[in-house]
This record gives sequence, C-alpha cells and structure tokens, in this order.
Amino acid sequence: MVDELLFFMEVLVGGLLAGTMYSLVALGFVLIFKASATFNFSQGAMVFFSVLAFCGFMQDFNIPFVLAFILAALLMVVVGLCTERLVLRPLMNASEDTVLMATIGLGYVLEGLAQAAWGVEVRRLDLGIGDFPVPWIADNLKLFISALDITAGLVAAIMIIGLFLLFKYTKIGLGLRAVADDAGAASSIGIPLKHIMLLVWSAAGVVALVAGCMWGARAGVQFALVDLALKALPVLIIGGFSSIPGAIIGGLIIGAVEKVLEVYIGPFFGGAIEGWAPYVLAIFFLLYRPEGLFGEKIIRRV
Amino acid sequence: MSNNSANILDIKNIEVRYDNVILALHDVSLKVPKGKVVALLGANGAGKSTTLKAVSTMLASERGKVTNGSIEYDGNAIEKQTPSQMVGLGMVQVLEGRRCFGHLTVEENIISGAYSRKLSKGDINQELEKIYTYFIRLKERRKSQAAFTSGGEQQMIAVARAMMAKPKMLLLDEPTMGLAPQLVAEIFNIVKELNTKEGVSILLAEQNTNVALKNSDYGYIIETGRVMLDGTAESLLNDDKVKELYLGISKKGRKNFRDVLKEESLKKKSN
Repeated sequence: MVDELLFFMEVLVGGLLAGTMYSLVALGFVLIFKASATFNFSQGAMVFFSVLAFCGFMQDFNIPFVLAFILAALLMVVVGLCTERLVLRPLMNASEDTVLMATIGLGYVLEGLAQAAWGVEVRRLDLGIGDFPVPWIADNLKLFISALDITAGLVAAIMIIGLFLLFKYTKIGLGLRAVADDAGAASSIGIPLKHIMLLVWSAAGVVALVAGCMWGARAGVQFALVDLALKALPVLIIGGFSSIPGAIIGGLIIGAVEKVLEVYIGPFFGGAIEGWAPYVLAIFFLLYRPEGLFGEKIIRRV
Repeated sequence: MSNNSANILDIKNIEVRYDNVILALHDVSLKVPKGKVVALLGANGAGKSTTLKAVSTMLASERGKVTNGSIEYDGNAIEKQTPSQMVGLGMVQVLEGRRCFGHLTVEENIISGAYSRKLSKGDINQELEKIYTYFIRLKERRKSQAAFTSGGEQQMIAVARAMMAKPKMLLLDEPTMGLAPQLVAEIFNIVKELNTKEGVSILLAEQNTNVALKNSDYGYIIETGRVMLDGTAESLLNDDKVKELYLGISKKGRKNFRDVLKEESLKKKSN
C-alpha cells in the first residue's frame, strides 16, 4: 500500500515537474497573445531557432556557456526587432487573422534560417544537469525525481515571478497591460505601440530560449522542438491564453494528468495515451470553460 | 475672433479620405484660440470624429488620410507625426466611447496617461492628487477595476487619464454620449474647470448641441463633411436656424429635420 502511494506520488511529482517544461513554452505564447491578441504560431520555431543558435555558439565557435547564452538572448531581441519592423508594423491595421497567418510564415522563415545557419543534425545540449533521479531525494523520500525536472521547475518559477513583477510594477508593464486592453486608447494617450511590441517579442524570444534549453537538454536540439508548440496549445486552452499564472497551472495540469493517465489508464488503451490525453482534456475545457481557468473574462457592464 | 497667432489649432480646408476612396470630410476649416473651448457640432456621420482624428493623427490607424488642406498646431504643421508624438507635443484626444482599460484599476488607468512623460514615482503621486481634486468621485473608486465603474465614471477616467499627459490641448469626442443629464452637467463642469484653472484649450465634438454651446466659447456646425455655420456660442444659441435644426425650438412650432432641409433648399433655389 505504502509502495503504491509512493509510486503514485512519484508519477504525480514527475508529471508536475515535467509540466513546468510545458509551462515555459506556453509562457512565450501568453506574452504575445496579451499584447497583440494573436496566437503566435512561430513560437515553436523561436524555441528551435534560439536553442540551436545557443548550441551553435558553444559548439561551433567554442564560446563559453554564459556568453553563448547572452549572445543567443541578444539574437532573440534582434529577431523581435526585425519581427516588429518587418512583419508587425506593415500589418498594423490588418486584422488579427492576417497577423496570425503572418506568424505561421515567420515560423517557416525561422526554421529555415536556423537550419541554413547551423545545419540539420541533432545536437546534444549539456547543461551540466543530468536527466536522472537526484540521489538525495531518492534516499530520503524514496521518490525518483529527475534533476532536470527540478531545475525546470525552479527556472519556470523564477521566470514567472520576474514577469509578474515586470508587468505589475514597472512602467512598461503598465503600458503592456494597457495595450492588451485597448491598443487604440493606449496609443491615444501616447503609449508607443512599437516599443511594447518590441518588448513583448523580445521577452517571448528569451522565454523561448530558456524553454529550448530545458527541452534540448532532455530530447536533444532538433527539429522536433518546433512541434512542442503543439503541446502548449492544450496548456493554453486550460490555463487561458492571456494569463501568465494560467500558463503555469495549465502546464502543471497537463504534465500531471498525462503522466497519471499514462500509468494508470494507459494500459487499457495499449499505452501511449500521453500524446492525445491532453487534447481530450482541452476539448472538455473548450466545451465548458472556453476562457480557461485564468483567462481574462470578457467584462461587460450590464 | 482673435488674430491668427493666438490660435493653438488652425485647420485649413482639410479633405479626408478613408481607404483612399471614401470621402469623409470635404472641406473643413476651423480655429481654436488658445485657452478657449470650441464646440464641433453635428449629427452622426457628419465628420466630427474624423476631424478630431485628423488633428490627433489617429486617422492613420483607421486607414484614413488628410488628402488636402493643412492643419497647424501650436505654430507647426501636422503631417507625419504619430499619435504618441502628438501627445508629446501636448495634444491628447479622448476617444469616443471612453475606451478605459477595463482590467486595470481606476488609478492605473489614470497613471497610464503619464506614460509619455518622464516622471518619478513622487511626481506621479503629486500629479495624481492634483487630478483627483477635479475628479473627486474617482478618488473614492481608485482601487476598483475600471470595467466595473459606471458610464459617467468611465468618462471621467478617460478625461483624467488624458490630463495626466499634461496637455495644452484636449480633443474630446462626444464626452457625454449616453449619460444622464445630471452627469452631462457634471462632466461639462469638470471640462470648464480644467479649461479655466489649467488653461487647457479644448475642442469638443458633441451631438448635445444645447449643453455644448452653453459651455463653449465658439461653435462650428458641420454636416456631411462641410462646415455649415460657425459663430460665437452665444450667437449660435440665438440663431434661428440652429434653434430649428439642432435645438428643436421654433417659432412656428416643432419641425422635423427634413422639413427644415426642404425649406433651406427652396430658399437656396429662389436665391
């Protein structure tokens, strides 16, 4: 009995921590959705682009870890700058759907550029953190939990707190929230939209880099990272597209639910339900709570 | 009227098109003297909002363009400026329909108006307190989410927010739309007070002709993109045509809009 409970705990905690990796990817989507009410289809490509550049800097140019990370982050700011200037500004008066289509195109451009610059083979990313159980926890709590999962959890927590403080207490954060509510009114009182867009796309780029590092360390830096974006979709549907806490909670829920279901219910379906169970959950949310758990409700005065 | 150099805003014969095709303004000229309140009156679709947006350069975001004529603000021509540059120059537009940031608190809404200025926390609080002296109601509700405040309060938030940018000139687009008469009076009292105490010049678009003229120095009446009539507020209030068309008062009993138009065109023909 105790063993079974321990096993359940292990599955649950492992799932929750793995969920933070989804949260990290979802976070990038939320940032851009808040500012431009657009689902950024290129987020997956941004993850791939940023972490491949990071690996490239380290492995092809022998740039030290920290410097390579900073360079990759700067590169993502440049990507944000180019996106604002070349894609978003010309489409300023276009509908949200047009911008959505543009992000799909942007995704292909980023994928292509990344592979043209750094090659197509799978790269190994060693963060110096192993993807194996931490001995101390295994000995004392009898739980086998990966060090990489714990790191991802910590990193996600730090990023969320950082972004929360940025939005709540800084001037540019206030500007972003204003733009998120009513871009026209924001520009009428002198909030420059292009600065806000630049900030958001750069921040989403850096978040993509962090998420890419975590996933790259686990699964290798490869083209498949682009499809991670798909896993963020149920996370966002559950958490709410416009909520940072929502992205986190949504990720945790998806992580925990898919692992628990995989272990306990999976055998009845012949296993591998991890791949589709989150989408089933997402469908239920779409039916019964379309704004997600934490999404901003549309407030309408009656 | 005062001489040219005393005008903060000088619009000369502007023509505005949307999408390069739809002609919204044919020929509008108007002047706003420094420190005065000027009312821009007319029915729905007459071109009031378009005129204001041409001035604040918000037209570009609606695919509109000034295709003819010129606008001079504070001695400089308005051409390629962006809305945020105009705010920097001291011209702020309060958009039609209030447009508060619903998910932000009342106070956050107002503070966001100071975005274009480089102010310290202390300065912002000082400015905020000053603004609250005009909008006492908002101070009580400072922590509420703006979306849950009343229509009158939202209008006050929108004006207070604009005032945080320390404007030399305010453009108010239908500030009393959909408000109860008592609130209309309250909003206009605040507008008058801001005008006299802060020295802000004001151009306001209104459908509420009577109240607007009573609180203005000068008025322009536009119809289908053209200025039909202008004069001091007093002269317009006493003008028979205005009385008939916009105030619904007539010597010969009540008339509807169409009758007056018919009469006018008959007169024109006979001239």
